[in-house]
Amino acid sequence: MRPEHAFIVAKREYLARLKSKGFWIATALLPAFMGAMILGPALAASRTKSQQRLAIVDETGAGLGRQLAAALTEPEAAIGEHRELREQRERARDEGVRFEVQIVPPGPDPAARRAELDRRVRAKEIGAWVWLTPDGLRDNRFEYHAESLSNVVTQEVLRTRISRVVSQWRLRAVGLDAAKIAELTRPVALSTIRISATGSRAEQGIGGFMLAFGLCFTLYMVIVIYGQQVMQGVIEEKSSRIVEVIAAAIRPTELMAGKLVGICLVALTQLAIWVATALVLTTPAILGVLLTLPAGLTLPEVPGAVIVHLFVLFLLGFFLYSTLYAMIGASFNSVQEAQQFAAVAVVFIVPPLLFMMPILNDPDSPLAVGMSLFPFFTPLVMMLRIASKMPSAWQIAAAYSLCLLAIAGMVWLCARVYRVGILMYGKKPTLQEIWHWVRYS
Amino acid sequence: MTASLELRDVEKRYGDFVAVAGLSLAVPAGVIFGLLGPNGAGKTTTLRMIMDILAPDSGEILLFGRPRLAGDLRRIGYLPEERGLYRKMTVIDQLLFLAEIHGLKRRQALPVVEAWLARVELADWGRKKVEELSKGMQQKVQLIGTLLHQPEILILDEPFSGLDPINQGLFKELLLEYRRQGRTILFSTHGMEQAEKLCDHIGLISHGRLVLAGELREIKRRAGSNSYRLVAPATAGDLERVKALPGVEVAIPQEPLDAADPRPASVRLLLAPGASSSELLRQMVQFLEVREFRSEEPDLEDIFIKAVRDAA
Repeated sequence: MRPEHAFIVAKREYLARLKSKGFWIATALLPAFMGAMILGPALAASRTKSQQRLAIVDETGAGLGRQLAAALTEPEAAIGEHRELREQRERARDEGVRFEVQIVPPGPDPAARRAELDRRVRAKEIGAWVWLTPDGLRDNRFEYHAESLSNVVTQEVLRTRISRVVSQWRLRAVGLDAAKIAELTRPVALSTIRISATGSRAEQGIGGFMLAFGLCFTLYMVIVIYGQQVMQGVIEEKSSRIVEVIAAAIRPTELMAGKLVGICLVALTQLAIWVATALVLTTPAILGVLLTLPAGLTLPEVPGAVIVHLFVLFLLGFFLYSTLYAMIGASFNSVQEAQQFAAVAVVFIVPPLLFMMPILNDPDSPLAVGMSLFPFFTPLVMMLRIASKMPSAWQIAAAYSLCLLAIAGMVWLCARVYRVGILMYGKKPTLQEIWHWVRYS
Repeated sequence: MTASLELRDVEKRYGDFVAVAGLSLAVPAGVIFGLLGPNGAGKTTTLRMIMDILAPDSGEILLFGRPRLAGDLRRIGYLPEERGLYRKMTVIDQLLFLAEIHGLKRRQALPVVEAWLARVELADWGRKKVEELSKGMQQKVQLIGTLLHQPEILILDEPFSGLDPINQGLFKELLLEYRRQGRTILFSTHGMEQAEKLCDHIGLISHGRLVLAGELREIKRRAGSNSYRLVAPATAGDLERVKALPGVEVAIPQEPLDAADPRPASVRLLLAPGASSSELLRQMVQFLEVREFRSEEPDLEDIFIKAVRDAA
């Protein structure tokens, strides 16, 4: 292999892609897309107020129904000093849950009343009804009837309110006065402080979560997008037969190496633009001009080491997956044919995203450590772990070494399939035939 | 003359199908060699084996008088049958890339590229993307791409297909100019006309076998004494009677004849070696009103048809 040949190919790939509008559009759009993905649902939730018309039937005779109605609807002032209730109301507002409550007496025939309430739900006069019974008070279980039970957020809000009202009622029953109860049941908050190599600093969990999620997702997107570009590039050369002209001048391995390196440099350029932009925008001076953060919300600190690992993990992930994509591209004649097999790559890259929550919740769990040592999972899982809590040096070293070994294997395999595949055309090869290419030398 | 390219008993099978069967062929240096044959004769397979895109199942391929070495293909300019370039690249970038992988420096290549673009009337298109060019223009760009590194041998697979007459003329001119510089050109075609006007040597293949090869002039001279033109009003039945006469090998009317109505017809006749033309004329005048009967130079098509028949 002559490096200068690979260099010519890499230069072509790099310049041709950087000159395309697509690259700059993607560079601008991907952060916007990610921002929308993270902020979108939150914004949408705060804009859409869900109003539930709720009928409360109180059979307990303890006035619980009225108290619950108050807890669900009363204005701020009436709740007074009760901090948890206030916080709950704020949360409910954030989640867009509103109640409109009517108290319905049980009547002489509870069965008839139940049937009537069901009819009213079906007629859309009310959304749901709750029946508070003495038995329920004893067993800590009340009934909620509605046409749809998928409104888990509303149910959770309702459940916590009922619990609160019931426990207050019980405390009063043993002789405590309202003020005393309020004082005694005041909730406790957690101030979160992150310990890192550079010292400790107060941070909110949500910021750290967003950081880990954002970095991991960026890595995922870049690896998949540029892997696919490698595949499409190989197929373009193959289907246009330009590869036959190139193969007469330089060796297939030189072409493959140049292609991978060139596209890798394009991706690195894009990643560098994003990181630099993010670093500039989040310097306190500039950020202060752009927006006011809600009081108490701090941006997570991003140590330089995390950024270095981001680039290293990108390189590992890129060469692991782009060789796979190049192999798929070399084996088929059209993007359509190859797309089915491209799904194979996704099977390997997606699992870390599925296990993101447990990994972030305990970055040192056997699950997280185990997954980070499997080369095809290493890039994304290690990104999650490093962004949330720096793993021990030996784990990083082991994961990276295994990954490098896997890359060496993939490059070997890819070179063999590529060399034969790019000059093959005609019918779609079977897996068995591709295996023959590997063994043919 | 030394052969700059030689195939010895080369065979290629696809499963049970024999694409190229024991083909031996020598392309002398400094000539334009036309590889002729109908579709599916094995022309493209042969060229792809020379370019090491396909491996022959048996036989030997020699370049520059010896078995092919790793760097030899860099001394060849190759135009594949199915055309393609990087669609999103500009014409100049594309050609500079092709020049670079063939070992030219960008700076040296640029004036060469520009001169070539001017020569084929694409000077204004250099900064355009390939996808904006017409098919014919792309074909010209691709031909330039094979010439930039001044290869000693040009191998072109159906270079004239899809070109209008003007560009066909331009291509011929470029190839003749290239041959005058002492270089070798091997091209495939199924169109006999181009081959006839352009080639010094030809090889006719049919079903993967070489049925005729050699210097075009010599081939024509050998076949020449046996080719005649007959002009007479005739029906399809008359033509069949002519074909059945002793000494007639091939009889091809210029236009199809009517079954019942005698029409003025012009028919090419190829006679068997040693057959007497005066005897043939004597027999034909018995049932035809012969208006013209003369010896003429055979065209390649006649020669090809006869060669395929002889081989069968």
